[in-house]
Amino acid sequence: MSTPAPASSRTISVEVNGEAIEYEVPARRLLVHFIRDDLGLTGTHVGCDTGNCGACTVHVDGEAVKSCMLLAVQADGSSIATVEGLAAEGELTALQRAFNEHHALQCGYCTPGMLMSATALLEQNAHPSEDEVRIALQGNICRCTGYVNIVEAVVAVGEGTGA
Amino acid sequence: MLLREVEYARPATVEEAVSLLVAHEGARALAGGQTLVNVMKARAAAPDVLVDLKDLHELRTIGFSSDGLLEIGAMVTYTQLVGSSEVEVARPILAEVAATIADVQVRNRGTVGGNVCVSDPTNHLPPLLLALGASFTILGQGGERTIPADEFFLGVYMTAVGEGELLTKISVPPASDAGDGFWGVTIGRHGTYVVDAAATVSGERARIAIGCVAATPVRATEMEQRLAGSDFSEESAREAAKDLGASLDPPSDVHGSADYRRRLAEVSAVRAVMQAVGRRKG
Amino acid sequence: MSPSNNLLQGQGSTAVETGAPEVLEKGYIGQSIPRREDKRLVQGLGTFFDDVRRHGMGYVHFVRSPYAHAKILSIDVSKALELDGVYGTITGDEVAIHTDPFFEMSVEPGGNIKDYALAVGRVRHSGEPVAAVCAATRELARDAADLVEVEYDPLPVLVDAEESLKDETILHDDAGSNTVWSGVFDWGDVDKALAEADHVVKIERLHFHRFSSTPLECAGALVEYDKGTAEWTLHCNHQMPGVGAIWMAPALRTGIDKLRFVTQDIGGGFGNKICLHPQYVVLCLLARKLGRPVQWTEWRTDQHTANAHGNERTFMDIEVGVKADGTMTGFKVRALDDCGAFPRYEPLGCIIWAQVTPGMYGWRNIRVDFTQVCTNKSPVSPNRGYSRMQHLWLTERIIDIVATELDLDPVVIRKKNYVKTEQMPYETPNGCFYDSGDYAAALDIALELIDHGSIEERRKEAAARGKLLGFGIGSTLDSGTNNFGQSTLLNPDLQFSGNNEAASVKLDIFGEVVVTLGTVPQGQGHETTSSQVVADILGCSPDQVNVRRGHDTWFNSHAGFSGTYASQFAFTGLGAVKGAAELLRAEMVQLAAAVLQAPEEAIELADGFARIKDGPEEAALPFMALGAIVNANNAFLPPDFNPTLNHRYVCRPYFGMVDTEKKTGQLTLTYATQIHAAVVEIDPETGVVDVVDYAAVDDCGIRINPQIVEGQVHGATAHALGAALSEEFVYDEEGTLLTSNFYDYHVPHALDMPPLKTGSMESPSPVAPLGAKGMGEGGGGGIHCVCAAIQDALASAGKAIVYTSCNPPHRVWSMLQDPESTRANVSVESR
Repeated sequence: MSTPAPASSRTISVEVNGEAIEYEVPARRLLVHFIRDDLGLTGTHVGCDTGNCGACTVHVDGEAVKSCMLLAVQADGSSIATVEGLAAEGELTALQRAFNEHHALQCGYCTPGMLMSATALLEQNAHPSEDEVRIALQGNICRCTGYVNIVEAVVAVGEGTGA
Repeated sequence: MLLREVEYARPATVEEAVSLLVAHEGARALAGGQTLVNVMKARAAAPDVLVDLKDLHELRTIGFSSDGLLEIGAMVTYTQLVGSSEVEVARPILAEVAATIADVQVRNRGTVGGNVCVSDPTNHLPPLLLALGASFTILGQGGERTIPADEFFLGVYMTAVGEGELLTKISVPPASDAGDGFWGVTIGRHGTYVVDAAATVSGERARIAIGCVAATPVRATEMEQRLAGSDFSEESAREAAKDLGASLDPPSDVHGSADYRRRLAEVSAVRAVMQAVGRRKG
Repeated sequence: MSPSNNLLQGQGSTAVETGAPEVLEKGYIGQSIPRREDKRLVQGLGTFFDDVRRHGMGYVHFVRSPYAHAKILSIDVSKALELDGVYGTITGDEVAIHTDPFFEMSVEPGGNIKDYALAVGRVRHSGEPVAAVCAATRELARDAADLVEVEYDPLPVLVDAEESLKDETILHDDAGSNTVWSGVFDWGDVDKALAEADHVVKIERLHFHRFSSTPLECAGALVEYDKGTAEWTLHCNHQMPGVGAIWMAPALRTGIDKLRFVTQDIGGGFGNKICLHPQYVVLCLLARKLGRPVQWTEWRTDQHTANAHGNERTFMDIEVGVKADGTMTGFKVRALDDCGAFPRYEPLGCIIWAQVTPGMYGWRNIRVDFTQVCTNKSPVSPNRGYSRMQHLWLTERIIDIVATELDLDPVVIRKKNYVKTEQMPYETPNGCFYDSGDYAAALDIALELIDHGSIEERRKEAAARGKLLGFGIGSTLDSGTNNFGQSTLLNPDLQFSGNNEAASVKLDIFGEVVVTLGTVPQGQGHETTSSQVVADILGCSPDQVNVRRGHDTWFNSHAGFSGTYASQFAFTGLGAVKGAAELLRAEMVQLAAAVLQAPEEAIELADGFARIKDGPEEAALPFMALGAIVNANNAFLPPDFNPTLNHRYVCRPYFGMVDTEKKTGQLTLTYATQIHAAVVEIDPETGVVDVVDYAAVDDCGIRINPQIVEGQVHGATAHALGAALSEEFVYDEEGTLLTSNFYDYHVPHALDMPPLKTGSMESPSPVAPLGAKGMGEGGGGGIHCVCAAIQDALASAGKAIVYTSCNPPHRVWSMLQDPESTRANVSVESR
């Protein structure tokens, strides 16, 4: 079987928040722009242009990644989870409720990324220490909160005292 | 932030990947993309073709060769390295250092192959692998060859991997009774290194590599010689490190002058050596 | 004159209200109610401007200058226009034809600067927009921008304010000088104070560096032009639309009401989204020219390079008079402010620091010789702490350097010189009134949180580990609710004075209470705190109060100074909400009295009802009943009684007039206190500074929502720590910004933050409508205390003087290698 020749666009098959989607994308399109502009899921945000801030964090095949550092075509065959998929039918997760209780957001711009990174952490480590939480959130910049309440909220969820 | 037009291919085997790299001038291998995608976003480089190595599962394994070398596939991610029991048993410093690269999201995608092939002077793995005496296996159309670390890094963004070739694995000798250390100053916690040093001390000998001070990691051979047969105390390490700074010609930039980096090189080398000494067995 | 009484005059839809401001009995006010904004934000359902789409919209990319200073010889857009999918372009030449230059605040020479939306004939900072391209997709706009050919003729570059002052290279020919403004502020008699002092401490030079708050959401807008009505709608994140419109409308040769600003959710502002008018004007022109909606999202690199930096200030020839007992009698200083390529809002920075002229201290003799110059760097904008922070850093550096040189304890010298709580309201040498506060008590709280008593022990323990431990205090004021009349000190011809903010509250047909704000929140929780105030006034639950998101010109719920800036929401924003809610309340009581046939005094609003106090259960009207009567069922009301249940209120704080000759007056109304304390450990071999303990104490008077207040303190601390330890906008000699992305411009991440302890106290403001002072900016306390702590740590290793506000490892290392060169900066003359 020969490999298909390089192409400047590709029809990708992805599962997004549980929904199967087929879409033709230019090879150069970043995953974050595919999610925001093509799929209209604007909860995932762009905060920088060098992959530092993490506002674009989503899950690809169960792992937290920065969607501005992937091309959409690289996600062909993968499953993607975005912030919009967390609250099933408007029922907020314990983590989302904890963010509210602990005032872990101010402007809300970094919040989707924070939630995705923290959700990935809690999926692997149900009772993280403060240090483990900080390590898990190290790739998510916040300019409003100083991280204090964000860390508190995630630790609280781990302790079962979340919300 | 927005890439130029590019063509994309996703080969199913390593051989197909090499064929694509050979067939298209200006083709680049796409591993984790944590550097390449950034570079393309900045439009600092614009390959015509991206050869995605995602499906090359044979490059994602960690295991041992028949003669006991730890073999790490080029597509192994930092997260995999951090969680690997083979690495923990054979050469834990690799996991310790990998755990400090940037953040979880980067570690989930970034690969050891990418880290070394980019050969950015501030990358973590080049000085570490140089100190450990790793070797690098490269596959080209003419077949496979293995290059030792001190011949692998050729310059900024330049390695022994040529056009139409692919790094397939990195082989690292197991620690056995050696102790390893890694120390440096970063821009913020888990940030980019300003200067770093890797050291491995085994028996009476040390291998020390300094990063961020030249186009490629530098072996501190004078310091190694002075240390050989010494008592490996901190005093001896400091004594051995004198003149290390003077022998270097590091860059000056926003994060420090050349003089500052010279001094940091000495401090980092001493601290890496002492860390290694502390972990030496026997 | 005393400001303590009679400070609120408001204009509502009915009578003017005067009277002493009352502190409302706490109901929901004072509770840390979780925010209602969160529900949409945690689901990713917020609407930030880049989330807004319009059919047929085009995406805009700006072509920017790679040179810091150059003539533009030619611009050729033809190749860009040939690219498929490109809708159009615009250049500076077109801008110069279709618009007038933006209004300049300063007097001559700065007032003569011509500032257009795009570079016209010349570029003056790297990253300055030169042309704009609009295309069908973001990627195409980016590609097309690469095809625009611009020919430049480079000119000499000025990146140093002192060089610029020499006027050897002139940046703006229309001004003829690089000086934007200069003036001398002189209060008391500093020469006498220095002559009579027992010690005069001289400091040659201190430098406050360039950095900014870098909000995570970049600037931008989606602009639509309605050809039929010649109106523009801007879906944007401008945090001060009133001022934005004042700049834009005349430039576009249109009326204020032709610009509709709509903001929804904003991802942080911190003052960096105040000077967006140049890019917005370009978008307005493109939308009109191309006949389609156009959208621009700023890239991070562009925000760092070319949007807005915080102001950079060099303080020179400082002389401080000190008595033998440690009382400071006065100081003089020459201040040089670097506003970058275009002054814009920044001339106000020449004055605004005077809100806190003496800092927290009681000295009465102060002279400030202030000059502002242009350089070939990014323009500046009122970054968090705007101008007061720089000045307060100066006063804190002075206190610590005096303490070091005269061997005085930093706690003792502060308490000796602090304005005392008994002196409040305290009139400063230039006529401002510190409304309330107990600085010494707040300092004590900070000292306790940081376990000050154990410092020397910890110092020894750290030394045993080879580390230098240092302790530092940063006391600062967050002055809020500013008097725009201070602008007349800058330029007597400016027609600005006072301040205002508006809000509307209505009771609708089904009993919903709806609030619209004039403010433009970017995360401060205005919807939640407004609902708390309204709930307490109307006797209902905050859940019954709906607060509309964001700012919309068409809400007609704003006034000239509307926006969110300058730490004033708790005063003016909530003051407006309170005023409107009180007007509504009065009418609801009147209406209920008429319906229930009882005297007004017998009516109370409670639990969502208007009812007769202690009356029978039937004598209660739910809000819905009142709303229904007025909106749908009003025939039975007598002809002379016309309730609307819809009230707009303008909160107008009262300042009195400013004296332009003496440069005195009430420049602002409230002063929140923040005392910060830090313990650092320095690695002497590398200069790396580790903050090992930290406390921040805040006193902003009555806290409407303590959790929100505390969140602001956390955020201000993080910003200050970033600025103190790593965030710096650094230029090379060619005027290229070397720290234009988050790799090199390192901001605090989760692992960088020290353990942060917070404390609070409440000294109610006698002048604010709810006793709540504006707060949020923070005053840079973290910068002041980290500088102090570093200097303290270095005291045992060469006694270097910390002379600049940002001290990354390489700088600390240099101070350890050569402390003498920093000490040469300082001298003491003693009797």
